[in-house]
Amino acid sequence: MRRATAVALGALVVAAPWVIAAAVPRQQRYVLHVLVFTALFAALALSYDLVVGHVGSLSLAHPAFFGIGAYTAAILATAAGWPFLADLLAAALLAAVVAALVGVPLFRLTEHAFAVGTLGLAVVAGIVANNWVEVTRGPLCITGIPKPRLGGLAITTLPGYYWLALGALAAVALLYRGLTTFRLGRAFHAVRDNEPLASSAGIDPLKYRLLAFTVGAGLAGAVGALYAHYLSVMCPEEMTIGLTVNLLVIVFLGGVGSLRGVLVGAVLFTALPEVLRLAPTWRLVIYGLLLLVVVVRSPEGLDSLLRRLGARVGR
Amino acid sequence: MALLEVRGLVKHFLGVTAVDRVDLAVEPGELVSLIGPNGSGKTTLFNCVTGYLPADGGRILFRGHDLAHVAPHRVARLGLARTFQQVSVFARLSALENLLVFLQQHQEERLLARLVRTRRLRRLEEEAVERARRLLDLVGLGARADAAAGSLSYGQRKLLAFAGALMSDPELLLLDEPAAAVNPTMIEQMKEHILALHRQGKTVLLVEHNMDVVMDISERVVVLDHGQKIAEGPPEAIRRDPRVVEAYFGR
Repeated sequence: MRRATAVALGALVVAAPWVIAAAVPRQQRYVLHVLVFTALFAALALSYDLVVGHVGSLSLAHPAFFGIGAYTAAILATAAGWPFLADLLAAALLAAVVAALVGVPLFRLTEHAFAVGTLGLAVVAGIVANNWVEVTRGPLCITGIPKPRLGGLAITTLPGYYWLALGALAAVALLYRGLTTFRLGRAFHAVRDNEPLASSAGIDPLKYRLLAFTVGAGLAGAVGALYAHYLSVMCPEEMTIGLTVNLLVIVFLGGVGSLRGVLVGAVLFTALPEVLRLAPTWRLVIYGLLLLVVVVRSPEGLDSLLRRLGARVGR
Repeated sequence: MALLEVRGLVKHFLGVTAVDRVDLAVEPGELVSLIGPNGSGKTTLFNCVTGYLPADGGRILFRGHDLAHVAPHRVARLGLARTFQQVSVFARLSALENLLVFLQQHQEERLLARLVRTRRLRRLEEEAVERARRLLDLVGLGARADAAAGSLSYGQRKLLAFAGALMSDPELLLLDEPAAAVNPTMIEQMKEHILALHRQGKTVLLVEHNMDVVMDISERVVVLDHGQKIAEGPPEAIRRDPRVVEAYFGR
């Protein structure tokens, strides 16, 4: 992308609340709500891609870490009255600690067994959220989660929350970039591409897998906290396996292992279905067809497919 | 003292003894070949020495360290590099990046330092890039530095893997069939590369099936058959050794 285009796009994204207010005044709230979701899902998908895209471990446990973060923040903010930034930090830390603890035994499993093991973790986390009623209130949900406050600034309006989500996305994207480029990224990719060979280069595969898994989980926990504060309600349904399906679609259809690809995926599969008002039943059918087409025609994802089409049109 | 000393190494697979009380010593600066018919335990011995398989008995000493239960990445950091029989590269990294992977862990392995990218780290990276380009030129891949390793030809990938093993300037280089399944021109190239390393004083232990290569370049040959060492000596003596002839051609 040209620099000027990038700057223009960035400005448009930051100014979105005003642009939307001017363009579709009657639907401003709805469109902004979709954009908040898009930003949060993009951040969550990036944290997921650290694991599946960069160290190549197909984890299905991400809803568990998202849920741990969301519940931690929700409970601390309501029952203990913690301030927003403190419960956000606690949410990220707890999710990361759980990931580090379960990661050691999980990474002893090879590929498919690892996927099943992480799936087990996600299922168990869902059961706990539903049944540990004293703490999570189970299906009654935790309600009345306060709006976030940053210092003296209360974030109560929708544009305010949009900018908060955008800032969170920018922070996650920055960290994602730092982790996946240069020497650290190279070590991740070496482990992903060929584990025995990486060992022969002096790289400890377990250490790098655990690092990506733990950081990914911590970021998922932080996104969970933002999500709970935004909705002000946290229910067990928010952390089902359906979330994994969404993340898989975003990451693999957008472009696995690529910042741009994941962002494109998040926009395509969070914002577009909402805007196009797709019926939920048809959405899954369309996702299934798209997955097939993309996996067969462009395994690197829609981002690279769009770029190739763009290059052909440009010629 | 020998650089690598293997004493009474034993490795079983489900009741089959793949390596049976093998002794082997490699002195600094030597070029030693390990030969033997298929299934004689050569690669198994390599895998035990480099930590990929746990040994069931015996000792492996490298520069005074006991390698019996050391993980592969730690063995590598002690200065023992190896290549693999199957062509082995990081397919989605470029040829240049493939080589960089092999040096960074030896230069600096603190994780946090990598995230903040200190000036020292940038300097190390520049040194690594320079060394990687020299090695790519050496094996004739200079023009393909930015190509994805997975897009290189079989022979090119083999050369890239060889260059990777040289990246960290190891004390001991274990090469597992560097001349297997490549064309005659490339076999000659490989021979030249290995001889050049030998002239620089590097220590090389070679597993190879190609007898011409082994007999041409080795100083000493060790022969395995059914997991046991059946002969050891200079190439000319090995060529005439009746036990070796029998192991290869039968009675």
